[in-house]
Amino acid sequence: MLCSTVRQILVNTEKKYGPEDAVRYKISKNEIESKSYTQLKNDSESFSNVLKSLGELGKHISVIGMTSYEWLVTYFGTVNSGSVVVPLDVNLPAEDVCDLIARSDSTVLVYDEVRKDVAAIAKERCPQLKTMISMQQKENDDHALSFWKLLEENRGSFDYDPDPDQLCTIMFTSGTTGKSKGVMLTHRNAAENATCLEMKIPERTVIMTVLPIHHAYCLSMDILKGTSLGAVICINDSLMRVAKNIKLFKPEMILMVPLMIETMAKKLEDASLLPAKIVKSQVFGKQFHTICSGGAYLDPKYIDLFKKYDIVIQQGYGMTECSPVISVNQSWNIRSDSVGQLLPNCEAKTVDGELWVKGSSVMQGYYKMPEETAETLEDGWLKTGDLGYVDEDGFVYLTGRKKNLIITKNGENVSPEELENVLSTNRLVGEILVREKDGVIEAEIYPDQDYVKKKRIKDVRAKLQEIIDEYNKTAAPQKRIYSLIVRDKEFEKTTTRKIKRF
Amino acid sequence: MFERLVKIICNYVEVEPENIHPESRFMEDLGFTSFDFMSMLGEIEDEFDVEVEQSEVVNIRTVQEAVDYLETLVK
Repeated sequence: MLCSTVRQILVNTEKKYGPEDAVRYKISKNEIESKSYTQLKNDSESFSNVLKSLGELGKHISVIGMTSYEWLVTYFGTVNSGSVVVPLDVNLPAEDVCDLIARSDSTVLVYDEVRKDVAAIAKERCPQLKTMISMQQKENDDHALSFWKLLEENRGSFDYDPDPDQLCTIMFTSGTTGKSKGVMLTHRNAAENATCLEMKIPERTVIMTVLPIHHAYCLSMDILKGTSLGAVICINDSLMRVAKNIKLFKPEMILMVPLMIETMAKKLEDASLLPAKIVKSQVFGKQFHTICSGGAYLDPKYIDLFKKYDIVIQQGYGMTECSPVISVNQSWNIRSDSVGQLLPNCEAKTVDGELWVKGSSVMQGYYKMPEETAETLEDGWLKTGDLGYVDEDGFVYLTGRKKNLIITKNGENVSPEELENVLSTNRLVGEILVREKDGVIEAEIYPDQDYVKKKRIKDVRAKLQEIIDEYNKTAAPQKRIYSLIVRDKEFEKTTTRKIKRF
Repeated sequence: MFERLVKIICNYVEVEPENIHPESRFMEDLGFTSFDFMSMLGEIEDEFDVEVEQSEVVNIRTVQEAVDYLETLVK
């Protein structure tokens, strides 16, 4: 059923499946706890009351942490109260997180104790930040308030119907110049993206959520679509334990990025001497049937490989700016060389080879970045930065990228320019080009010859590797460089003296 | 410890055991992806009956560093 606000999604499902499990998560190695849809709705309304009592209704609320029940309560409680949630990447360095808290004008930070380092410096770095709420802290203190204590103190229903065109989320995504941009999404953007397509996924399907929760893909498909289907959403506690947690939660469907599918494919192939049915049962369990793939392009050979094991891979395509899903392959109509059919709320056209899309999931713009917004949106059309076209049946085909942006196999966007600028500050780095190669980020460097001579550096390569190692120590995981090429000649330049990228 | 780890490594990447050395780097030399690496840590938890702390393993780069970390766990 098409819903135009996030609140409608939760309210409808709670009416239908109130006492049934909504979320399952581990509380120890083999012990699972669950929360029902009624509990999720009640707790999130209590959280809305918390924001009201703090005088923060309608404000911007940052949240950082691994996927957890508390994270979901914060999310629903914030957006359903008419406030704006700002989901932050749990793996970002603390300084970068504070930059995003400040740039999003957040007045509240809800944090998981795994990022207590952020909480330690956030108030000092972000002048607008008034309140910090710890998801695990038992009691309130001068530094932070206790999430659960606040909830208990503010129990009660919260009746508010957000307007579909009200802003509900600011999600940061990497820009081509390195400064991440806050994608502004309304209730309609998010809710219609998750509910406009009938995918024939049975209600009460058991799904396991493994992707980072701050990603639009995970939030839209696992959480919003999952909730709209009354699904049982099982939380994978660590990427280290995907295999073990599959055995524990017995999911029927998982949303993955290509990197994970490739590793799982190796597991299937390692046991390929056994009958396919047994292999599937060992790796995924008998009940498992579907993987949704997104975040980055998946080589179609994996779709064919998994088919042998009776597992359907539904490859889709999207970007945060489109809430994020643009197209998806339906299980009964898969074209493995296409990234699927356009969602019913989306139209597309090709302009100078670039794919442009329009529809109710296209963002409102980048938060406080009018120039970048004007570059990306034109008369309601979103310029995707991807080269591609749509055929007469509505199937989308991608042929390349227009924007200079690396999309890693785990669906992260990385700006090569940002990395180049950071490394160029080192004197030994004369010229540098950063790109993606075989799934990892590679830097090609032409050393500054004058500096080499002046400092009498003998092993230039080792010295450059040291620089990269040092950079990697503090860089976010998706921005780390794992391959180095040292040039003995300058790069070829364009007429404007820029390095030729291609 | 090193030999047991080499055996597990071979489940994730196509490298001959004799080409895996203490100084081999998981990503750069052995061709691990970040998810391969995480999955391997999960297998190590089972194989050595230990609990790996994610925050403590993010900076492990070489096989020797992994061996050193594991030795602190199994003591």
